Order: sequence, then C-alpha cells, then structure tokens
Amino acid sequence: MNQFVTLLVGGVLLGAIYALVALGFVTIFRATGVFNFAQGSVLLLGAYVIGRLHDSIGFWPAAGAGIIVAALASLLIDALLIRRIRRADLGTLAILTLGVDILLLTELTRRIGTDVVSIGAPWGSDVVELAGIRVPASRVIAGGVALVLVAALAVAVKVTDWGVAMRSAAEDGETASLMGIRLNRVAAGAWALAGAFAAVAGLFLTSFPAAGVTAGVGIVALAAIPAVVLGGFDSPEGSVVGGLVIGVVSVLCAGYQDELSFLGRGIGTVAPFVVMLLVLLVRPSGLFGTREVTRV
Amino acid sequence: MLGEPSAEAAGRADRTGRALLGVHELSVAYAGAVQALRGVSLEVPERGILAVLGANGAGKTTLLRAVSGTLAGQGGAVTGGTIELEDRSLLGLDPARIARAGVVQVPEGRRVFSNLTVAENLRAGGLAARDKGARERARSWVHELFPILAERATQRAGLLSGGEQQMLAIGRALMAGPRVLLLDEPSLGLAPRVVEQIGEVVREINRQGVTVVLVEQNAAMALAVADRAVVLEVGRVSLAGSSRELADNPEVRDRYLGGGSEAAPRSRRAPARGEELVVDGVSVRFGGVAALSDVSFTVAPGSTHALIGPNGAGKSTCLNVLSGVYGASAGSVRYGGRELRGLRPHRVAALGVSRTFQNISLSPTATVLDNLLLARHRLMRAGFVSDGLRLPGARRERARHEDRVREIAALIGLEPALDRGVRTLSYGSRKRVELARALCAEPGLVLLDEPVAGMTREESAAMADGIAAARGELGISALVVEHDMAFVMGIADRVTVLDFGRRIADGTPADVQRDPEVRRAYLGGEA
Repeated sequence: MNQFVTLLVGGVLLGAIYALVALGFVTIFRATGVFNFAQGSVLLLGAYVIGRLHDSIGFWPAAGAGIIVAALASLLIDALLIRRIRRADLGTLAILTLGVDILLLTELTRRIGTDVVSIGAPWGSDVVELAGIRVPASRVIAGGVALVLVAALAVAVKVTDWGVAMRSAAEDGETASLMGIRLNRVAAGAWALAGAFAAVAGLFLTSFPAAGVTAGVGIVALAAIPAVVLGGFDSPEGSVVGGLVIGVVSVLCAGYQDELSFLGRGIGTVAPFVVMLLVLLVRPSGLFGTREVTRV
Repeated sequence: MLGEPSAEAAGRADRTGRALLGVHELSVAYAGAVQALRGVSLEVPERGILAVLGANGAGKTTLLRAVSGTLAGQGGAVTGGTIELEDRSLLGLDPARIARAGVVQVPEGRRVFSNLTVAENLRAGGLAARDKGARERARSWVHELFPILAERATQRAGLLSGGEQQMLAIGRALMAGPRVLLLDEPSLGLAPRVVEQIGEVVREINRQGVTVVLVEQNAAMALAVADRAVVLEVGRVSLAGSSRELADNPEVRDRYLGGGSEAAPRSRRAPARGEELVVDGVSVRFGGVAALSDVSFTVAPGSTHALIGPNGAGKSTCLNVLSGVYGASAGSVRYGGRELRGLRPHRVAALGVSRTFQNISLSPTATVLDNLLLARHRLMRAGFVSDGLRLPGARRERARHEDRVREIAALIGLEPALDRGVRTLSYGSRKRVELARALCAEPGLVLLDEPVAGMTREESAAMADGIAAARGELGISALVVEHDMAFVMGIADRVTVLDFGRRIADGTPADVQRDPEVRRAYLGGEA
C-alpha cells in the first residue's frame, strides 16, 4: 500500500511537469493551429542553457536565462518560419516543426556529447518526507511551480485583454483580425509562452532523480504528446488532466514492472500510448476536446 | 446617369460631405486567374450609407474583403486600382491595421465567437479601441442600441438566436469605434421582423456619424436604408445612383426587388408520388428547454407546404426530427402510415424522405454529377467489388443511373453544369445542386431547409421553378423552411407558422399573411 501511495504521488508530480509541456503544445495549437513538434528540443535547449550557465552566473540567473532563451527560440520558429507560410496546410506546418526539432536536437546532442550536464539546482538530491512518503524535493517544487503557472495562465486567459484576444483568435482568426486583433502578436505570445513553459519543465525533468541534462531529455518530452491527445488537443484543462494521467500511469507501470513482467520489459514507456488509445476509443475527441459539431 | 455609368458617376460624393472611403478602378483576382472585380470605382461620402447590390458571385463580398484586407486568406489579391480612407491607402495593410484605422467589417454569417460570452465578444471588439474611455462609451452605446446584449452579457454567444447574434456581431464591430462600418448581408437568414429592426439600427448608427457600406441581398431593405446604391454585375459597377433612382429603375425592380407572384403555377401536375406526412403533437426538449411543444400539421401528397416563423422558433428542429437527426420526446410522425419517429436518418431516407441543408453540405471537390450520383446510393445494387472491377452489370447499372441523374438535372436547369466541380459553382447554383441531390434519391417527400436564403430575386425564382418542376414532373411533395415571404407565398399550398416552438397559425398563404398573431410575431409592421 505504501508503495502504491508513493508511486501515485510521484506520478502526480511527474504528471504536473508533463502538464506544463502539454500546455505549451495546446497554447500554440489554439493560437496558430500548428502542432509544434519542436517543443521537445526547445525544452532541451532551455535545460542545456541552464546547465551550461549555472556555474558561472549562479543557478537563478541561469534559470532565468534558460527560460528566456527557450521562449525566444520558440518565438523565432514562429516569426522566421511559420509566419511566412501561415496559410499553408497544417500537415506541412507540423512537418516543418519536425524538421526544426531534428536540427535543434542534433546540434544540442553534438554539444552535449556523452556528458551529463548537471542542472545545478540548489535543492540537489534532497528528499522530503510527506506523511510518511519519501519524495524528491525537486518533484515537490515542480508540482508547486506547475500549479502556480497553470493557475496563472488560466486566470490570464479568462480575464485579461490578452486572454480575450487569444480566445477570439483561437476561435475565428479572420474575424478576430477584422476586429483589429493582431494575430501575429497573439501567435508570438503563444509561442514564447510555450517555450518558457517547456524550459521550466526541462529544468525539472533534468533535476534529481534524473541524472542531468542528457540528449535523451528531448525525447522524454514526447511523453507529453499522449497527454495532449487524450486531453483533447485544444483544451488547456484537458492538457493538465492528460499530463497528470500520463504521469501517474507511466510511474505506476514502471513501479510495478515486475508484477507486469508478463507484458514485457519497459511497459512504463508504452503505457501512456495505450491509455491514449483507450481514451480515444471511447471519446474520439479526447477528454475535453471540442467535438466537431455540424449543424444540420 | 443610369445605364452605363462612368467611374465618376458611381456614388460620387454629394453635398453632404467629401468622400471618406474611395475605391478607384479596383481589380481583384483569385488564384491569379479568376477575375472577380474588374475596375470597380465607388465613393462613400462621410456620414453616408452606400448600398451594394448584386447577384451572388457578382463580387460584393470580394469588394468588402478587398477593403478590409482579408482577400489573402481566400487566395485573392488586388491586381489593380486603389482603396483610400481619406488620403491614406489601405492597400497591402493587414486586416488588424485596417480595423485600427477605422474601417471595421461585420462579416457575412455573423461569425460571433460562440464559445465566448456576449460580454467577452464585445470586449474582443473593443481591443482595438483607442483608450479605456472610448471603450466605455462604445459599450454603453452598444447596450443602448441592443438592450438584449446587456441582459445576456454572461451567456455564451453561441446560444443566442440568429437575430441576437447579428446584433452582437454589429455591436462587436461598433466597440472598435469605426469611422466606416462594412456590413456583409446582415439580414441573411433572419425573420422579416428582425430584418426591419436591423435596418432601423443601421440608420441609427449612421445618425451617430458612422459611415456605412451595406452589402445586401435584401434589396428592398438596403434601398430603404441607404442614400446611395451601386449594383455590381460580374465584377463591374453596372448601375449607380441615389437609392430612390435605383428603386425606380425597372431593371432593378425586376431583378432585385421582385414584382409579385413568381413561380407561376405549372399547368402540368404528375400524379402525386409522395404519401401523406402527418406530424402529430410532436415535442422536443433540449435539456430543460422546449424547442418544440405539441406541434401538429399535415403535408398532403403532392403539395408544397411551408414552415415559417422567427429565428429560434423551432423550424430547423422540426426538419431534424422529421429526417431522424433528433429524437422527439413526444408525439408521432407518420409518413404514409409508417412511423418515422425513432428511426435513424438513413432509415428515414430509405422510406423516401430526403432533405437539403441550411448550410450547403456538398462535396466541394467532386463534380456535380458525382454529388448527384451519391444520392443514388440507396438505389444501386452493385457492390464495391463489382463496381471497382467495372463488371458489365455494374457498368450497365451505373449508366442507367447516370441517365436518370441527367434527367433530373435537366429538370432543375443544372445540366450544363454536370461535369463542373461544385467548388466552381456560384452559391445559387450550389443550392440547386442540393435540391437536385435530394431529388436524385427518388423521394416522395423532400425537406428543404432555407433553399433561397441569401439569393437574389432572380436566383430564388430559378429555385422556385426547380421546386415547381419537381412537383409537376415528379409528383413529389415538399416541406420548405424559409424566411423569404415572397418565395413562400409564391410556391406554398399551405403554411404552418411556429413561434417559440408552438404552432401559432396554419392555413393557406393568404390566411396566414392576414393573421394578426403572425404579423406580430414574425412579419412585422407593414410586411
């Protein structure tokens, strides 16, 4: 029982990190209709900058720098590549981001090489005890930070002018532009925000218990894709719930690996996709996705 | 002045003020090839109202798109000419810049942000306003013009009725503090009484100093509201002048205003193939809302029956119940003795009840012929294997069905278009393809959902002819939902009027038109 609760809490906290990544996907998708596969390499870029800089300028400035670099990188993908061909087929745009992902990931892998770059977080490998369960401090902080960011974004989308502009543009871009809403600005904001969220997620995905910044982290971010899909693609709430579900499922499956050995080794990696498929069988538009409604 | 106007004659600024918006020799092409506008010139004086009339495909919406900067999204581009607001060129600016410069468009089909609340929609419109004070003034003005928007502030815009959505779309545009308001078919799909209201509101907005360009299919309303008008035909200004001059012009009267009876009853009447449709005490509830309560009427075999009423009265719901899309919570629908209630849509179709849709629902990339053959599906026997292998039996069957499709297309006047892609057809023709597709299923009864919405007199007359031909040659009955009263009165044998989901009248067109209850709820003052 104790193991179960430990795994559950661990899963929720990992899920919170996935939720941040997933929220980035969804924000970009809502604002520009693009499914941004470069999210994983942007995440790695943020973590890499933090890992390289923290020795010379200290952890907090390095974290700030990493977040800003990731946000800028994400923004540049939009401004330099996507914006020019905004009206292109969405499949084309998604493949374009896949290309960007490969380029960026290759370059970062080359730079990292076989090193394991430490992220240099002040909480190091501390472990805290919560009601008898031992959890890494970094994961607890990750959970708290994710909660704050998600809540702040939800409120901003609901009440600010930016949020109203964002939702109008998401629903009907052309009409929004007829009302004087500048779509390029809305898009740029969404891409930058997604980049920043990715960097924050990258920071925690490379903290303890992970070894540090390795080239594999960019791939880990792909685990957020089933979270996005099962959440319903265009729903912020869905991406958070989806992230949590995927986190819990993959941690539980990894934790009970021995009991689940009849399913083969490494079921924890596959489990998110199995869950995704099961959800889609029952709800083809995901848990919270906008259903394609046709009025007849 | 009329007839062959020069560029100068077209809506020239009169004594009331200089031109605020000037379009000069404007040409627009789509996909680099299709010429949609060919040298259009017009001027809109400050504080004026200019009406732009014309058939579907004449270039009215293209003109507005060119002004508001939204051509690119449709693959269109300005190939010549100028568009100026005072002395500033609007060409090449993106839509948001143009809106911020003071030219704001209310798009066709309202396009409110349906997941946002009414208040948020207005706020989205106000994002371009200069400052907080301006926003607040605009908001109180909008609430004064449309008190309903203040009442419904926290409701999702998608839940508003069509008329309310149009008010919201206009209110949202006013929030941006426009100097020039471009209205694209504000009366589309609205009940006559609401159209009257919208006309009054446009005049009131204009009195407050906003210059208006009004693109309308409802020429009577547009000419009543506007000071000046132009008529577009195949991308050119064919007529221009004051509203009064145009309203008196015989050609305009013929093509856009309509004299009286259209669709002269056909002499020939085939024996009725349709059976009697009896709708008896049907009720439909969505959640707690009663969309239809206890509605009854009968469509006699071989007759044309019209279903009219205000937006949100339950007309489309009624068609959806008949075609099996919605389930009724009470009552019965019998077609020739068979109970339709509870049957799935394809089962209803198999019994010989086919329908058209309010929003055109054709396959745009396929040819007209293929779209029509699709409707023969239920009549074809060859499976996909024999058809795919082109076995002789399948080929013979296909040829037989093609012949029949050609006959029906000829009846509706679509034969020349059979091999064209649906995408290349004008709106009016596409609506007729929908009718033809419904007929190709060899039904006994067709359900037509707003067959002439957004059409000019001329186009709607072509549609009326098509329906009359279907009735005359094929002997089928038709149930028509429509707002266009001239059309309804021209073709219907009997009319049922709904309001708030209840039947408020049922009788011959003449009876219904005189009914005081119907005038109050639907037709409005002098209709």
